[in-house]
Amino acid sequence: MRLFQRIKNSDKAGYVMSLPYIISFLMFMGFPLVFSLILVFHKWNIVTPMEFVGLRNFVRLFQDVQFLRSITNTLIFISIHIPLQIAVALMLAVFLNQKIKFRALFRATYFLPVVVSGVVITILWQQLYAFETGLLNNIMIKFGLDKIPWLVSPDWAMPSIAIMATWKNVGLYVILFLVGLQGVPSYMYEAADIDGAKAWQKFFYITLPALNSTMVLVIILSTIGGFSLFIEPFVMTGGGPMNSTLSAMLYIYNQAFYFGHMGYAATLGFFFAFIILTIVLLQKKFVERK
Amino acid sequence: MIVVKNMNRFLVFISVIVLSSFTFQSCEKNDQVDENGKGITHLKYWCASNSHEIDLAKHLVNKWNATHPNIPVDLQPIPASQSSEEVLLAAIAGKTTPDICSNMWPGAMDDFTSSGGLVNFDRFPDFFEFIDQRVPRDLLESFQSPDGKYYQLPWKTNPTMLMYNVKMFREAGIEGDLKTYSQFLDAAKKMTKDLDGDGNFDQWMGYRNINTIWWQRLFDYYPFYIAASGGKTLFDGPKIIFNNKASVQVFEFFHQIFENGYFPISQMQGDNFIIGRLATQITGPWNIAHVDRFKPEGFEYDIMPLPVPDDFEGQVYTRGDHKNIAIFSTTKHPEEAWEFAKFLISPEADVKLLELCTQVPIRKNLLTDSLYQDYFSKNPKMVKFAQQAPYTRGVDGVSDLKEIFDGICQEYEMAAIYGVKDPKEAVRDAEKRAKVIMEWNRSR
Repeated sequence: MRLFQRIKNSDKAGYVMSLPYIISFLMFMGFPLVFSLILVFHKWNIVTPMEFVGLRNFVRLFQDVQFLRSITNTLIFISIHIPLQIAVALMLAVFLNQKIKFRALFRATYFLPVVVSGVVITILWQQLYAFETGLLNNIMIKFGLDKIPWLVSPDWAMPSIAIMATWKNVGLYVILFLVGLQGVPSYMYEAADIDGAKAWQKFFYITLPALNSTMVLVIILSTIGGFSLFIEPFVMTGGGPMNSTLSAMLYIYNQAFYFGHMGYAATLGFFFAFIILTIVLLQKKFVERK
Repeated sequence: MIVVKNMNRFLVFISVIVLSSFTFQSCEKNDQVDENGKGITHLKYWCASNSHEIDLAKHLVNKWNATHPNIPVDLQPIPASQSSEEVLLAAIAGKTTPDICSNMWPGAMDDFTSSGGLVNFDRFPDFFEFIDQRVPRDLLESFQSPDGKYYQLPWKTNPTMLMYNVKMFREAGIEGDLKTYSQFLDAAKKMTKDLDGDGNFDQWMGYRNINTIWWQRLFDYYPFYIAASGGKTLFDGPKIIFNNKASVQVFEFFHQIFENGYFPISQMQGDNFIIGRLATQITGPWNIAHVDRFKPEGFEYDIMPLPVPDDFEGQVYTRGDHKNIAIFSTTKHPEEAWEFAKFLISPEADVKLLELCTQVPIRKNLLTDSLYQDYFSKNPKMVKFAQQAPYTRGVDGVSDLKEIFDGICQEYEMAAIYGVKDPKEAVRDAEKRAKVIMEWNRSR
């Protein structure tokens, strides 16, 4: 009763102001989430009525070799993509933190791929990577080297996608590292200079420890981004060759929208979200230091 | 308080606007009458979203609207998506389907009918009388739903055949159609070349997309399987039958092609057939309009049936990309929609289908009917497709078809493209996989 009284006596304008957020949250987050949870226990292909199947979707999940393969592929992608992304982003951030000419232009240029549509970039890279007609292989032939089967070899396809994804996303992480770098007190470097520290010693003993919180953020963000791998294999390879680029998200999408297994796809989605949560919590525990 | 009062007024105003728009929308175009007091019935028609079919639909709708002022048709191309079927399923779920659609793929009909989304044509008293004049009865029966009803009106079939570059064939000394796998492979050996001496091929016999998206197999494995099996599809009734000699032969044939580099294992961009880098192309009649439009000066091409295994005897079949017409159960005007459907497949409309879309209508005596003589004499390449049309097979109308094709895709990729699996074993595993898929999808 007190709550109702408080609502009655309060200024209604606040509720009206927050209504757009509440409505959008309920429509695009709350409802889909609850609905997906209901779907986990059902079989449904959008057009025919839902059929209750209990835990059968979970039984299928644990027997699904292809889903296991897609998770392994995603982990392979992440294990290439995250270290590569951190190394490149950190290198560029350190470079762009120096007093160099056209610094703002470089910063904007590195950030540009982040704001360009993922599909557009993927199509462009698909043409660069094309085995017979791609620019990269044509350059290699000009230099007398063998062509690389970027997207058509099961061994090369996932690393190729990881390189492309790194190129697309690195700008965002450069900005994050730049923010972190600008927060490192300059007196620490001055003290190190007086002590005669070399550049690599300053980097490893001052810069890197000072960037710890940024590093945690970058690792968590790129882990979540890495687990969401979808557009690149969807456009470039369709999950091939021989399922080597079939990511978990692509597999879930195929189950839902190609084959109409909405209930099973929802089950895979929840299970996959649980895996991401576990890994992020573990990362936070082991990477974050006081 | 003044702010809140104003806010309340504003909200009431917005609500009135929203509710009125819904009300007007629900009354939209349903209660109109013409100047003589006769009721006007609007129909909504969705056509395929490619430019040629949009042109055809515009032409036909304009003609219909001019002669049927009381049943005007509003035309809309199927909204953009990965596939028409996806859009139609979403529309059925959301009850936003049009009255009639002319891009119905038989492979997806089971999903549409099991949801009760379609009107059966045999409910109209003149259905059989009308359709018997156009479609042979055995072909009509191939579109019959498992419940014995007819939910699709056969419209067009586009046989998958082999288009080839005449000049390249002539220069390589190849004459006549490549009837068998051996002939095709011999020709491929001559045709696949390194032109600039850098140790890499720059010209190939052909190209097939190697992506493992299920529908890509409708342009390689499936038509070649139909050809090699003498017109079989994946199913015989409810029984899977594709684990057979024909499937293995097709897998082996494509493995030889990819292994020898006759088709590149690559993702090619652009039309490499037109620029003379590919000697052949597995395609349908719709491609004639495209090639004629973009071909360079002096480019010559022709059509031949798909090659078959060397020991094959009999009529060569291929896949027909059937597209049919359906009326959705959301329509309030099934009788009017049926009248419009009949108009869409009238003899005159079929002339326009040939002229504007270079696609083959499903029609008896197409090559002998005087109405079409003029068109075929001006377009001799279309004669080959029209001759092949009676010997086509579509896809089985089973609900698991896409998933089964996906399974075949995986095995085809391993055996044919990358050669890491024995073709026999791959076909057997594809069958096993199909059975597991069906078992799972039926289980409760």
